[in-house]
Amino acid sequence: MKRILPPLCLGILFLALQSTLLTFPFLHRIRPDLVLILTLYLGLSYPPLSGGLIAFLLGYGMDLLSGNTFGLYTFSRLILFYWAQLFKNRIYLENFFLQSLLVFLFTLADGLLVLFLLRTLNPEPWRHLIPPLFTSFLPHSLSTALVSPFLFALFHRVFFLFQDYRMGEKG
Amino acid sequence: MRIRNLFLSRKHTAITVIILLLLSALILMSLRVKQRKGVDFFDALLIEICSPFQKATTSILKEIKGFFRGYLFLVQLQKENTMLRQKIAELRKENQQMKEMALASDRLQKLLQFREKVSARVVAAEVIGQDPTSWFKSLTLNRGERDGVRKGMAVISPEGVVGQILKTGPFHSVVLLITDYTSALDSIVERTRAKAIVEGMGENRCNLKYLLRAEDVEVGDSVITSGLAGNFPKGLMIGEVRKVDKRGHGIFQYAELIPSVDLTRLEEVLIIIESSPLPREEKEKKVKRTK
Repeated sequence: MKRILPPLCLGILFLALQSTLLTFPFLHRIRPDLVLILTLYLGLSYPPLSGGLIAFLLGYGMDLLSGNTFGLYTFSRLILFYWAQLFKNRIYLENFFLQSLLVFLFTLADGLLVLFLLRTLNPEPWRHLIPPLFTSFLPHSLSTALVSPFLFALFHRVFFLFQDYRMGEKG
Repeated sequence: MRIRNLFLSRKHTAITVIILLLLSALILMSLRVKQRKGVDFFDALLIEICSPFQKATTSILKEIKGFFRGYLFLVQLQKENTMLRQKIAELRKENQQMKEMALASDRLQKLLQFREKVSARVVAAEVIGQDPTSWFKSLTLNRGERDGVRKGMAVISPEGVVGQILKTGPFHSVVLLITDYTSALDSIVERTRAKAIVEGMGENRCNLKYLLRAEDVEVGDSVITSGLAGNFPKGLMIGEVRKVDKRGHGIFQYAELIPSVDLTRLEEVLIIIESSPLPREEKEKKVKRTK
């Protein structure tokens, strides 16, 4: 519980921030996906069981608070988490630029996975999703990537208080 | 430890749990796609866990906004004017609060007048959050099943149609906005009575679908609800036609619509409780009872 509760509470707080503070009209298009950054951080530092459970619950929360009726994020965030697990201990992540690059690539992957699932499950209004791909999704991926090094540093400190592990170590 | 003992090794436990988690995500998705519903109890529980956080953040943001409007502009005045500044700040803050109250009162008065006009039974709700994703358009409201809110109910504001209830918890609910790309609403063009379906396009825009090429539609025409959908009463304003395009082939023409409600700045809405049709399960129960 000690391992699961702090990131879960932080995730719910991020979810609330993402659906309130970051929805102001001028911020809306460039709003970073804080929950995605947390999921990736967990993927790179947490064990597969507790981390996977948190990724599942945060994805579920995203699905509930969004207009999406398919449960896409429960699936996509879990896939993303386990995909990030593959990179655990294999990449050097102390560099700000590399952190941003990795988050940018994962954000793109998440978006494309959601688009693929939407295309598969509900192909009819698919064409409406092409314009937001450039007007909203790309700026959103960039802002998520730019914010990620600061949040990675924050998570590192916060979670370090609760347990004795460092990023990259086995859980 | 006991659970772990069921497996051959720690590695097996991990793999089994990962497979279980992925399978549950897939089953959930399949449930939602096939039956348009998830695990109701779990959904309601999670909505209720997340909503207080949203509520708290929204109220903190309102406070901060008030503070910035009323006080912060005065911080850099000269020292000798400190007393005067404080006085002005207090007065401005008071003034701002009164303005905010007057605005809120105006909005609520409008809502009340509109509520009296609408023949159906309605419940007023406050918007406490917006969609956390980039792809979908929804709002979280502070009213739920305990207030009589059910899935599919129409959500409106004095300016027009907002959307319909998508998910419900005991005290909170989620509205799918008319601009969401999965939303579709039966409508008519007010001037010519031409029928069409209003489909969401995201980014505060909608599309008029299945509008016959022969129909006379012009930029500036108002589009209203047809009343055929069941949930929405007839004659509610949906939006105004912004663009008409008759180019291309086929029997339909293309028209773009701007919703009459500014969905990015909504603070209060009304949920139509009475005119919603009964959910399938309730209908089936009623049929069984009459038998």
